[in-house]
Amino acid sequence: MSETYSPKILGFLCNWCCYTAADSAGVGRYQYPPNLRVIRIMCTGRLDPSFPLEGLATGADAIFVGGCHPGECHYQDGNYHALVSAALAHEALARLGVSRERFLIDWASAAEGPNFVKIITRFTEQTAALGPLGQSEGQDSVKLRTRLAQAAELARGRKVRLGLINASREMFKGGDFSRPAIAALIQAKCAKALAELTSQPE
Amino acid sequence: MNITGVVMVVGGGVAGVQAALDLTALGYKVYLVEKSAAIGGVMARLDKTFPTNDCSLCILAPKLVEAGRDPNITILTKAELIELQGRAGDFKATVRKQPRYIDEEICTGCGQCTLYCLKQINDDYNENLARTGAAHIDYAQAVPASYHIDPKACLRLNFDTCNLCSVACRAGAIRFDQKEEILQLAVGAVILAPGFGRISREVMAGYGWGRCADVLTAFEHERLMCASGPTGGEIVRPSDERHPRKIAFLQCIGSRDEKCGNNYCSSVCCMYAIKQATLAREHDPDCEITLFYMDIRTHGKGFDAARERAVGENNFRVIYARPPKVEDVFPDGGLLLTWSDESGGHHYEKFDLVVLSQGLEAPDDAEQLAQAAGIDLNPYQFAATDTYSPLATSRPGVYVIGAFQGPKDIPDSVVQAGGAAGLCAGQLASARGSATVKTVLPAEREVAGEEPRIGVFVCHCGINIGGVVKVPSVAAYAKTLPGVVYATDNLYSCSQDSQGVLVEAIRQHRLNRLVVAACTPRTHEPLFQATMREAGLNRSLFEMANIRDQCSWVHMHEPEEATEKAKDAVRMAVAKAHHHTALSEQQLPVIPGALVIGAGLAGMSAALTIADQGFAVTLVEREKQPGGRVLSLTADRHGHDPRQAVKELVARVRQHPQIKFVAQATVSAISGFVGNFTTTLTVGGEEPQSLVVNHGVMVLATGGKPHRPTGYGYGQSDRVVTQMELEARLVRAKWPPKSLKQVVMIQCVGSRGEDLAYCSRVCCGQALKNSIRLKTARPELQITIFYRDMRAYGFMEDDYRKARELGVIFLRYQPENPPRVDIGSGGKVTVNGFDPLLREEVRFNPELLVLSTGIAPEDPTELARMLKVPITADKFLLEAHVKLQPVDLPVDGTYVCGLAHAPKGMEESIAQAQAAAGRACQPLARGFITPAPIVSRIDPETCIGCGACESFCPYKAIEIYQEGKLRKARTITASCKGCGVCAARCPTLAIDMGRFTFAAIMAQIHSFGEQINE
Repeated sequence: MSETYSPKILGFLCNWCCYTAADSAGVGRYQYPPNLRVIRIMCTGRLDPSFPLEGLATGADAIFVGGCHPGECHYQDGNYHALVSAALAHEALARLGVSRERFLIDWASAAEGPNFVKIITRFTEQTAALGPLGQSEGQDSVKLRTRLAQAAELARGRKVRLGLINASREMFKGGDFSRPAIAALIQAKCAKALAELTSQPE
Repeated sequence: MNITGVVMVVGGGVAGVQAALDLTALGYKVYLVEKSAAIGGVMARLDKTFPTNDCSLCILAPKLVEAGRDPNITILTKAELIELQGRAGDFKATVRKQPRYIDEEICTGCGQCTLYCLKQINDDYNENLARTGAAHIDYAQAVPASYHIDPKACLRLNFDTCNLCSVACRAGAIRFDQKEEILQLAVGAVILAPGFGRISREVMAGYGWGRCADVLTAFEHERLMCASGPTGGEIVRPSDERHPRKIAFLQCIGSRDEKCGNNYCSSVCCMYAIKQATLAREHDPDCEITLFYMDIRTHGKGFDAARERAVGENNFRVIYARPPKVEDVFPDGGLLLTWSDESGGHHYEKFDLVVLSQGLEAPDDAEQLAQAAGIDLNPYQFAATDTYSPLATSRPGVYVIGAFQGPKDIPDSVVQAGGAAGLCAGQLASARGSATVKTVLPAEREVAGEEPRIGVFVCHCGINIGGVVKVPSVAAYAKTLPGVVYATDNLYSCSQDSQGVLVEAIRQHRLNRLVVAACTPRTHEPLFQATMREAGLNRSLFEMANIRDQCSWVHMHEPEEATEKAKDAVRMAVAKAHHHTALSEQQLPVIPGALVIGAGLAGMSAALTIADQGFAVTLVEREKQPGGRVLSLTADRHGHDPRQAVKELVARVRQHPQIKFVAQATVSAISGFVGNFTTTLTVGGEEPQSLVVNHGVMVLATGGKPHRPTGYGYGQSDRVVTQMELEARLVRAKWPPKSLKQVVMIQCVGSRGEDLAYCSRVCCGQALKNSIRLKTARPELQITIFYRDMRAYGFMEDDYRKARELGVIFLRYQPENPPRVDIGSGGKVTVNGFDPLLREEVRFNPELLVLSTGIAPEDPTELARMLKVPITADKFLLEAHVKLQPVDLPVDGTYVCGLAHAPKGMEESIAQAQAAAGRACQPLARGFITPAPIVSRIDPETCIGCGACESFCPYKAIEIYQEGKLRKARTITASCKGCGVCAARCPTLAIDMGRFTFAAIMAQIHSFGEQINE
């Protein structure tokens, strides 16, 4: 292998859409960079808010979550819940000074093998441009990963999760599933619980 | 009358095997009678299948294994049906079974007999391109996985000498005293699926085959491409074993050829040539490929798109010409091809290799079989059938499926198999379950207290994985992982003998977890889980690593990286497997009724096939009356009136005690799951009312509609009509009028272009039929048809020839230069086009311009959204598997047929509807379903009773109950579908998901991290 940097990407793909799209990309022999490692989940709604942070803490340079298009969740609204969990992850990353491009949640239906390939190819290129975790952030990667682990721990804590419950409730009540709206809800409901992430590292 | 709940299926190719499996799932015993020594048929010899280029054996092998271990399927190999007495429901079948000379019960498949066999013979499975012993097995994944001896070659049988195999066989399975057996079997119905025959050697010799070493048949080429073939998957010229640089594919060899008596089109060769060309290119990216076509007939679902992509990406040269002359004139090798193009120009060129796309013929023994089964044949020796009962032969109780019904591809064969199974089940409904036995599985071994003992099996999948990923090194790596006590690699993990290996390894190494690194869990998990269960392990102790679809196939040019990725995938799967526990499986009752949406030809056919099996059907139609679009057709290609057939169907539907017809109804909501759906209908025009239907399964037959064209003067002159509008005029009194002197037809208006991206499949046939009708009424009428490719597939080619004989003029146009239509004053029509033969512009002023406008689906978006089933970009419903589950939708218990699936003719719609009905009745016949145990579980200790899970659950599958003073949540297992939203939202992590536990996913994440730390 050449010396060029090759990013480590961990993906969580839902069984019904993105995982199937990934399979159909294979059947069609569409080629994409070999950086993605996949964890199959039945629905992106199963994505624990701590999983993306745990993935980055444990060594990933970037995390991908792939589900069904909004409104097309095989269950009913799992991908909207995933958007809430994703917004929390993005908020935590922002507080830790981690590039938000290191975490992507996107959609490909079962019939969209080529779309999946496009998404992964672009995401891999984009992550490669950022370099290893910590590089684009100008932070020490070991320390950063420790703080990401703390963030993951926080996401498993009751305080944050009660905030997420409220955010999810409001999202369904308001019916606005846009990413900025969900990000605002996370700000409103989880800011307090995430307060300790804002303190600078020693 | 005595009804026997047994069906005989003659022919063990993919159609026969599928029919057998569908029949046992419906409650019938099957005798699967196969002429050769193994089931699998031609599909087992193919390397890949179009249009997806899926590995052929990979998708077939699980079915063969399933058939092999089904206690209700008796496979009779080397057997033939020789007589059929009695009548439908109560036949006596006589079968002649030739000896294998090796006891298939005792044979272990070790292969010692082949090793010691002194008599070498041509290997038929490898198209005689390799040699094997007289004692041999047809192929590695053969079912039954037993050897057999060729009596024509064996030295012991012919000369009473040798006998080495008897000595070499440690199992003592050699039986030279076996004799031919005549079996008398009582069966209620018979399905004929003998497949197709080969084009004669004389025909192929006309193109140099047999005379020039480097002229191959497509079947030979297929074996050369295949990893398990004679060259290990290298395409080499037979003459000098070098890689060919220039390959020519010649189409229509033995098809569309009056000289050899096969005037029909074989329907599959255009597409398989594209597949072979693509793969040849994959084998050697520098190879130049030329395809010689008379017409490109890629009319199946998604075929045109696959072809265009293949031709574009690989830069294939496509030449429209009759098959060229092939000569072997060069002293240094190579072949001279001479052809004339469509404008009469002559060309010649040298090629390294020529592949003959040979057509499909009726089986060699078609006449014998027809006589034995007592059925009629058509003039081409295929089974004679009727448009409106396409799977029924001339003898009641005897059905025909697959290529013997007419040349066809694998999905269409699989569809017919399902359809015939559904029809048999209807005919034998009173005997359902009377001849079958229940599978008895060993008790599950308790593994709870044991340390994980994980076995890892890494699959080569021929060269599909092994050609890219270094499989042995992945297996060696697996051995080093914690908890792994056994790891190995297999050529094909899904073959029947591999299942034996798996079971043996589980016993020998006392494995309590199984990891298979192979294709994808979406298709193969059930197979391996069944094997595990046979070995006494709970199904939930299984994990799969996807190293083909998501690894070797998508990183074909990066073997190092792909191997690393495969190792990571295996490590992560092993890490997850540590956390697997045995999960109990529930049986849920099934509501014994079906909902069929759409009462057109497909919907009504499906409803009847379900109702005939004794299940209640609610048949829903948007319009006031049943019948659908067929009512606007006024003749079929045999001159019969389809409206009459529909009228009869409507009458049967109306009278059937099991069918409730609901008119003017649309679906407003669907909830539930297989076995237990609840659908709300909005019924009635003026004052609509709600109607709630509870049903176990549903069939979507929502149909299609004629595409409304823009341009070509449509709507600007009453002289411009569509083919559908012409149908109506053709039955008017005194029509065609004397004033009509010239008719022009234009094909692919809308289809294969910007309006509809796909080929609508039926328009060429319709144009031929209508031009013949016009010409028959008024022979002096001038008819010119502008077309791109005349897609008169199958026996429709007869119509093409007939139309030409009647004087219809055919002019091919290029998509970039279509005929132009101008409407003058008084609606006068002028058509300008290019005549490729004259090489000049031609002008017509027809009194009638007929546009072939294609079929658009009724928009299924709303319904698909309610049901959560995917649709294609063209808005057709997407089936679960293009090849092997052509009528199943990806949501269990839902099925599709007719135009909602793709454009197709009436005959095909009916067969598909019968197939959807047959498949839909499987859960109904079983009476229960066993949902995957991936449901949520709530730990009452940790639960704080906040109720978030209850409020977010999309299926109301969580309820809150009081435990003393405390509120707690619990799962209603029967309603849970396992999405896991509750687990992700639980504030105290009290909820976990079966097989996707928090701990297991965390283990996968951490295991992923080890990649970095290595």
